[in-house]
Amino acid sequence: MKYPLAILAFAALATPLRRQVPDASLRSVWDGVYTEEQAKRGESIYKKECAACHGDMLTGGESAPPLTGGAFLANWNGLTMGDLFDRIRKTMPQSAPGRLTRQQDADILAFMLSINKFPAGKTELYKQSEMLKEIRFESAKPSPKK
Amino acid sequence: MLEKNSKRLQNGLFLFFGALLFLSVPASAQFHPKATDWPSYAADLAGTRYRPLDQINAANFSDLEIAWRIKTDNFGDRPEYKLEGTPLMVNGTLYATAGSRRAVIALDPATGELLWIHGEHEGKRGGAAPRQLSGRGLAYWSDGKDERILYVTPGFRLICLDAKTGVPIPSFGNSGEVDLKRNDDQDIFPDLITGEIGIQSAPVVAKDTVIIGAAFREGMTPRSMRNNKGYVRGFDVRTGKRLWIFHTIPKKGEFGYDTWEKGSAEYTGNTGVWTQVTVDEQLGLIYLPVETPTSDFYGGHRPGNNLFGESLVCVDLKTGERKWHFQLVHHPLWDMDISSAPILADITVDGKPVKAVAQPTKQGFLYVFDRVTGKPVWPMPERPVEVGNVPGETYSPTQPIPTKPRAYSRNGVSIEDLIDFTPALRDRAKEIASKYHLGPVYTPPSVSKLDTTLGTLTMGTASGGTNWPGGSYDPETHNVYVYACNSCIEPIGLVAAPKEVSDIAYIAGTAGREVEILKGPGENAGADSPKPPKKPSGGGFTRMDVDGLILVKPPYGTITAINLDSGEFVWQIAHGETPDVVRSHPALKGLNIPRTGQTTYNIGTLVTKTLVIAGEGNVTTTADHPRGAMLRAYDKMTGKEVGAVYMPAPQTGSPMTYMVNGKQYIVVAVSGGPYSGEYIAYTLPSAGE
Repeated sequence: MKYPLAILAFAALATPLRRQVPDASLRSVWDGVYTEEQAKRGESIYKKECAACHGDMLTGGESAPPLTGGAFLANWNGLTMGDLFDRIRKTMPQSAPGRLTRQQDADILAFMLSINKFPAGKTELYKQSEMLKEIRFESAKPSPKK
Repeated sequence: MLEKNSKRLQNGLFLFFGALLFLSVPASAQFHPKATDWPSYAADLAGTRYRPLDQINAANFSDLEIAWRIKTDNFGDRPEYKLEGTPLMVNGTLYATAGSRRAVIALDPATGELLWIHGEHEGKRGGAAPRQLSGRGLAYWSDGKDERILYVTPGFRLICLDAKTGVPIPSFGNSGEVDLKRNDDQDIFPDLITGEIGIQSAPVVAKDTVIIGAAFREGMTPRSMRNNKGYVRGFDVRTGKRLWIFHTIPKKGEFGYDTWEKGSAEYTGNTGVWTQVTVDEQLGLIYLPVETPTSDFYGGHRPGNNLFGESLVCVDLKTGERKWHFQLVHHPLWDMDISSAPILADITVDGKPVKAVAQPTKQGFLYVFDRVTGKPVWPMPERPVEVGNVPGETYSPTQPIPTKPRAYSRNGVSIEDLIDFTPALRDRAKEIASKYHLGPVYTPPSVSKLDTTLGTLTMGTASGGTNWPGGSYDPETHNVYVYACNSCIEPIGLVAAPKEVSDIAYIAGTAGREVEILKGPGENAGADSPKPPKKPSGGGFTRMDVDGLILVKPPYGTITAINLDSGEFVWQIAHGETPDVVRSHPALKGLNIPRTGQTTYNIGTLVTKTLVIAGEGNVTTTADHPRGAMLRAYDKMTGKEVGAVYMPAPQTGSPMTYMVNGKQYIVVAVSGGPYSGEYIAYTLPSAGE
């Protein structure tokens, strides 16, 4: 069966476009997207790599933004864990961006989720950006689905 | 050694554009900044962030459109997401620092066209810098003929460029640079490459003297009580020669040395001036806002009042000699760095003219002094404050408390501050607060314990209140306009530091989350090895919100207009759209909640002939605009909002304004979250559109 070329081209375009706007049917950070164990690993890495600037309590400092609380939750609300992961990959740790492995970055993210009191679950947080883009960051707990 | 690592980004083509610019500068004119220019970081050396422009006003602010924009991604080897700069616009050219390289760019202020760029490749020294990224800006100097741009690299080198071409001035320092890690009355340790010292603020030039302070890493969990010291220096803008130095930690024999007991002045570091300084050129005086000494929350290794920590110090512009000082916080324990530019104001109090200096602070007090004598304009009596019980700590039993103006943002936490949208939410907020020690301003940090309290719940400490963007001043109304976070809650708990982590007895931390030393592979992992104690991830950490709602009542962030003749508030408003989480929260359905403002601490204001202008620090999505933030304008007399324009990301650098070719522009730095740094210039649509 042959499809008209235009339809194929449209289909190729449609996928990335759709991904830019997370839809409500995606999983969210409220769905148990990391494990306690992973968050513990992340805590050790966080203390060594992040805490000096972002603070032990993740409240940030004069040079580093908070990773918890109003501004953090508002500015990431509605985006995806992939966006947050990419930001860390590109820019952190500041003295040597990209030095940490994707696994370490995912572990740190798991720790940040635990500190922000998003529930832990049974599977670890992904370490691939594309897969993390399927997890929506929601600052407030959504109403139970009917 | 360093020079070998340095590689200047220059492009011959830019010289051509530079030559064109040169033609447009009147050759014989002395330099007098025009009221339509923005010649220094805070508009002027008085720290006002004021320009008497009025083409953009209440009637048309919402009509603003983007004149030009420039992403800063390519001004460094990676994008930056924290663009904090405020550009300058002088003599028809706009200058800014930009990108993760902290490049200097010159742009056409009407079109945004890039005229030249300069960057310094600093190798390891740049990578080890305590204050990286693009910084807050740069300084301009001219004698009417030469025009120079000065900035400090992340690796702490002062660079002097020809403003017309971007080429370093060969006769300044060593081929256009001064190594700020040298000639500093101390040996920067451990070495010049990795030695911790730098700065991110913009230099200030006053009467041919360049003034440079110093900054360090965040001081919550330092590795040692010893650190490099943050002295302030003046340099000759023509030659780069050091003219003077002011020891922010006095040397033996100098005034204030005895406020460091047990010889602690010898090893304590930090105590820098990392934010903007202010100068009164007529009086020949500089106003230095000094930060906290080493270890933000524990001072057991530096007994005494610790001058000039957290002091406003006035020094002579020509010599750097101290004229007067006032210590805002004795024996600092709260990270209440004086974080923004002092503001100079000529006011009239009780019928008498006063040359004043007003200092916004993290703790929400606006301290107002006679800037000639250093005497408080309104009394600041020493009042008793709580004395804590952290082992080894010493406490000042009193602190100076301004009687006027009253505090313009919360600087303590009480049960009264907790949310009261509904009784259920309030109960949950109380439950969270019950895990902490509460109290008014200067309630001391406490040791974190799982069985009693996890620490002290504070506001107006490390974040503020008012942080580095500071305030604005309107010389017409004598009003200071100042943004403050009114909900930036900081739990300060202390834990004993393991010797392997720090030689300081206590550092910031939470019980149950004691600092762990990472073990080598296989260490303590074999059979019969002692099992580690089981503890949950996060330990005693408590999220400071209830289902996404901030623990304390709105307003979350405010702009306050304070009249300096009377010391009274003129108005106070919540700044920023109500966060999405509040507007859509199921528990708040049906409640009528006025605009709350936002929880953020890095908002700078701009004041014009009629408006106070400031952007939002949080992203929202509303019926009126897609995901983004708004740049808002308020009537400066009343605080009433008169217009707003959309920004794709929060304001992260303070706005500035200027006129060129008969049009007024407003430029603001935006970035944050997934949005990389961008300068955006707004102007009014051309006539007929």
